[in-house]
Amino acid sequence: MSAEPISSENVISLRGVGVRFYRRSGLFRQSLFTALHDISFDLQMGESLGIIGRNGSGKSTLIRVLAGIIEPDSGVCINHGYSTALLSMGIGFDKMLSGRHNAILNGLLLGFRKRDVVNRMSDIIAFAELDDFIDHPLYTYSSGMRARLGFSVALKLDPDILLVDEALGVGDAQFKAKSSEVMQQKIQSNRTAVLVSHSTDVIRKLCQRTVWIDHGELCGMGPTDEVLSKYHRFLKIEPS
Amino acid sequence: MHNHTLTDSVRYSYVRVLSLLTLDMQKGRLPETYVFFLSKQHREVVLFKAFAKLRVEASRYYLGFLWWVFHPLLTMAIFYLVFHVLLQRGEPDYVAFLLIGVTTWHWFSNTISHSMNSIWGGGSLMSQVDIPKVVFPCVIIVLDTIKFSFVFLILLIFLIIYGHTPDVKYISLPLILLVQLLVITAGAFLVAAVVPFMPDLEYVFGVLLRLMLFLSGIFYSSERIPEKYKEYFYLNPMANLIESYRAVMMKHDWPDWTSLGLVANAAIIGIVATNLFIKRFDRLYPRICP
Repeated sequence: MSAEPISSENVISLRGVGVRFYRRSGLFRQSLFTALHDISFDLQMGESLGIIGRNGSGKSTLIRVLAGIIEPDSGVCINHGYSTALLSMGIGFDKMLSGRHNAILNGLLLGFRKRDVVNRMSDIIAFAELDDFIDHPLYTYSSGMRARLGFSVALKLDPDILLVDEALGVGDAQFKAKSSEVMQQKIQSNRTAVLVSHSTDVIRKLCQRTVWIDHGELCGMGPTDEVLSKYHRFLKIEPS
Repeated sequence: MHNHTLTDSVRYSYVRVLSLLTLDMQKGRLPETYVFFLSKQHREVVLFKAFAKLRVEASRYYLGFLWWVFHPLLTMAIFYLVFHVLLQRGEPDYVAFLLIGVTTWHWFSNTISHSMNSIWGGGSLMSQVDIPKVVFPCVIIVLDTIKFSFVFLILLIFLIIYGHTPDVKYISLPLILLVQLLVITAGAFLVAAVVPFMPDLEYVFGVLLRLMLFLSGIFYSSERIPEKYKEYFYLNPMANLIESYRAVMMKHDWPDWTSLGLVANAAIIGIVATNLFIKRFDRLYPRICP
C-alpha cells in the first residue's frame, strides 16, 4: 500500500453515532429500524478511507452522516470546519433537460457557482466524451452516457473532500478504467476522500484505511488489507 | 426491530423537537443559524431550477411557452362568454370584478398546492446533497410567479379593452403584488414544512384552500357580508388583497393602506417563523421524506 505518512489531523470525527428510522407499517403502526449503532472513528486529513459492507449494512447512511446530510439520533458527528461534497451519479438529473443544463444544475446542487461550471464546461464535455450530444435532452442518452456526464461534473469541479458513493461501478470498461485512474490521481494527491463500495477490488486499489460495517455495527477498522481479509473470511462463513 | 404505535412515535417526535430546541437556546444558537434566508449560491440554485422546470414544461408541448399566454386567455374568454354574453349579470363590470379575483386567487392557490409536495417529494435529492430545504418551496414560488406574470399582463390588457385605462394610482399595484408574494411565501413555506411530518395534511390543506376560495370574496363583493361577520372576513389575507386590487384596477382608487400593512406584517412574521421551522429540521427532513 501507499507508504505516504498519514497526518494525524482529524477532519471529521464520529463518536458513538446512532441513526434510527421510523417506518410506517400500516395504519397507526410504525416500526423502528436501527440503521447505525454506536459508530466511532476519525477521518484524517489527506487519507482515503474505504467503507465496505453488504447491501443494507448502513454504508450509505454512514456516508450521509459524514456529508452532514443526516443528523445522528445519538452520538455526534463533528466536522472540524471542512466543506464536504457527496458525489453520486447524476444528482438532480432531469431527463427532459439538455446535458449542458443538467451539468450546470448538478454542479449547483453540489455547491458550486454557475460560473464555475460554465467555465469548466468544455473540460466536462471532453472528459465525458459527449461531443454534440451535450445540447440534446438527456432522454436521448444511453445510461452509460448519463453516468459519464454525472461523473465528469463531479470530477472536474474538484471539491475539497470527496465522498463517493458507488460511483465506479458504471459505464463501459474503457471509461471505468479511465475514471478509476483519475480517481486514483485525485486520492494520491493528498486529498481527503471517503469511498463507499461493496467491490473489494476498488477499495483495495484506492483506499489506505477501511471501515467495515455490518447491520449498522462497526465490525472492523484499520489498514485496508487487514480489514478486507477479515471481511472475506466473514463472507465465506455467512454468504450474503 | 420493534413495532411501535402511533403514540410512541408522536411522543418520540415531541420529545425530539423539544430537546433540540432547548439545546439550541442553551447554546444561544438561534440568531445566526436561523435568520439568514438563502446564500447567493442557493439563490442561483433556486433560479436555475425554476427556469429549468419552465424550459422542460415548454418543451413538452408543440406550442411551448405560448400556452402560458393562451391558457389564461381562453379561461378569461370563458368567463366573459358565460357572465357577460350568456347570463348578462346586472352588476356593472362583473367580468372585470370576477377576473381580478380569479387570477390573483389562482396565483395564491396554485403556489400553495404545488408547494405542499415540494419538500416531501424532494427526498431523493436531499438524501444526496446538503441543501437548505427552503430551496424546494422557493423554486415553486418562482415558477408559479413567472407564470402568473403572463396572466397578469393579459388581465391588464383585458381591463384596458374593457374600458379601465390605467391611471396614476396604478403605481400602487407593484406594492400589492409584493404583499401578495409575501403572503404566498409564508403559506408555501408553512405547507411545505409540515406535510413531510404528516402527509395526510395534504387533504386537509386541499379542503382549506377550497373553503378559502369561497371566503375570499372572489365571486361576490364584501358588501354582501353581514356586518357582524365582517371582521372575521377580513382575517383572510386574500380577501384583503383582492379588495385592494379591485380598488386600484376598477374603482381607480388607492388601496386600503392599513389592511395592506397589516397583511404584510403578518406575512413577514409568518415567513420568519416558517423559515425558522424548516431550518431547525433541516437534517431531519432527509430521513422522513422517502
